[in-house]
Amino acid sequence: MAQIIFENVTKIYPNNVKVIENLNLHFEDKEFIVLLGPSGCGKSTILRMIAGLESITSGKLFIGQKIVNDVAPKDRDIAMVFQSYALYPHMSVYKNMAFSLMIKKMPKEEIDKKVKNVAKILELTPFLDRKPNALSGGQRQRVALGRAMVRNPSVFLLDEPLSNLDAKLRTSMRKQISLLHKQLQTTFVYVTHDQTEAMTMADRIVVIKQGQIQQFDKPQVLYDKPANIFVAGFVGSPAMNFIEGELVCKDGKFWCVNENLTIDLTKIKCADKLPNLKDKKIIFGIRPEDISLSAADQKDGETFKASVLIAERTGAEVYLHLVVSNCEINSRVGSNADVKFGDKIYVKFDISKAHLFDSATGKAI
Amino acid sequence: MNEKKKDLAFFVGMALLSIICLAPIAIVLINSFKGQFFISSSPFSLPDAKTFAGLSNYLGGVGKIGFWKAFGYSCFITVFSVCAIVLLTSMTAWMITRVKSKLSKGLYYAFVFSMIVPFQMVMFTMSKIANMLNIDNPIGIILIYVGFGSGLSIFLFSGFIKSIPVDIEEAAMIDGCSPIRIFFSVIFPILKPISITVAILNTMWIWNDYLLPNLVIGSNYRTIPIAIQYLQGGYGSRDMGALMAMLILAIIPVIILYLVCQKYIIKGVMSGAVKG
Repeated sequence: MAQIIFENVTKIYPNNVKVIENLNLHFEDKEFIVLLGPSGCGKSTILRMIAGLESITSGKLFIGQKIVNDVAPKDRDIAMVFQSYALYPHMSVYKNMAFSLMIKKMPKEEIDKKVKNVAKILELTPFLDRKPNALSGGQRQRVALGRAMVRNPSVFLLDEPLSNLDAKLRTSMRKQISLLHKQLQTTFVYVTHDQTEAMTMADRIVVIKQGQIQQFDKPQVLYDKPANIFVAGFVGSPAMNFIEGELVCKDGKFWCVNENLTIDLTKIKCADKLPNLKDKKIIFGIRPEDISLSAADQKDGETFKASVLIAERTGAEVYLHLVVSNCEINSRVGSNADVKFGDKIYVKFDISKAHLFDSATGKAI
Repeated sequence: MNEKKKDLAFFVGMALLSIICLAPIAIVLINSFKGQFFISSSPFSLPDAKTFAGLSNYLGGVGKIGFWKAFGYSCFITVFSVCAIVLLTSMTAWMITRVKSKLSKGLYYAFVFSMIVPFQMVMFTMSKIANMLNIDNPIGIILIYVGFGSGLSIFLFSGFIKSIPVDIEEAAMIDGCSPIRIFFSVIFPILKPISITVAILNTMWIWNDYLLPNLVIGSNYRTIPIAIQYLQGGYGSRDMGALMAMLILAIIPVIILYLVCQKYIIKGVMSGAVKG
């Protein structure tokens, strides 16, 4: 059992900078958890606290059933993969992987068996005698993974392990890490600022901003029901469009109104909550894929005239950067869309999939 | 064409400079094979049938100054001082670089400052203290060399250690290493190029040093530079042939060491300068 529990954990650095305050988290055994957030949000600090590389100022940290606040990193039954790989440059691939087992004074035959087995899984067998500087980025990354795997730890910690790889390699390593998790059946805690990595690999994602947890849930829930404007903007690529306005009730209907746009909110999911929020400042959010092309202005408060700023073709789809009544928005449409720079078109918002946020608090309505 | 001329001028300039630098060594080498009376009369001529003295200067010099005994003292002091300097200063530099505190910062600047204090400024008080502490012997002088050698060595080691990612040490910590094991199994092997640089620089200095052993251990334990000095004799009775021969013998070990390890000197000095 390697569940990880943070109980009111606070981390204050010696220069009195409070990075994490009252953190409460519960990672289940064998879960793949991703800590997601922008640079400097404290996600790596959380990971390093689990590893024992950062002390905990107050609160309790459990790994399994045991409080590990004062337990040395080597005794926590964890393994960590670093962003820089942190391979020992003077040791061969074999020795890099065998090092921790050698320290444990494991019999040589057993070490040999384990290292060769892991090397086979990670396709590193031909490189066992090489030094890290004679390996490519992807191979080094696999050695770093292998070094963690041979220890057979109950918790795997991965600190932005793919950020130094090129896009193609990143995709293949992503798949490899996911498969590894399925094979090893241990708890994985993975730090990244790349929401694609988080969405594709995680069982659950912790979204963090300035040391505070914004939302902790399954990837699809984060996408479909973001708790606040930060999560809504951070998760999803291209990012969600936001339009500021005021909630106005007119002709028995609710509208999001600003000086340029009037959007009919009748079909919105949270329509039942709107009567209490009359005349409040709100932010209307809609994902790019929920904005489609329309043949003509249907004058329904959902269709708007737009001019095309840029049309980015990715092959499978087209990303449109549009100006709708002075508001810049992005849309994602099928590759058959025949639009180009300067075109005047009509777009339709799928209001049933849109989101509303309280302008003052940023929280979802 | 202009470029070619420039290159040629540069080449000629450098060649001249090399000749000027190597000339004294060449003159010593040539004269070490001449009879001592011909050295002062024609110091720049090559030995001929009349002036060539074979190895008599070498054999005579070795006997006169007790060369092998002096060689033994020089080797003992140099080898153990350099080993102690490399081991102790690399550990100190690691601690100073990794522990972020006012004390470590202060220590670093104290060591760096020690580099700019001229030896002549402290030599008399130092030899007096060495005498009082009974470290005026070949073992005690090693301690003094560690002190004098630590400034530059810590400066060089610190620069190199800054370029080693802390992640490597943290990975070793997670792998189960104690701090001592991290140093010896992970850090020290990575420090190999800079350790060789530090070793060579200190070897050249300690091997050739005349003033410190002369002040501290004096004539009781003659190192090579002190022993050679005794060939100067008094009242002009210097044996120039043996002197030249012994000078050549004295520089041979350092030259061999330098030639074997020279590639590491540049590598080591440069490596801390830029982020790898």
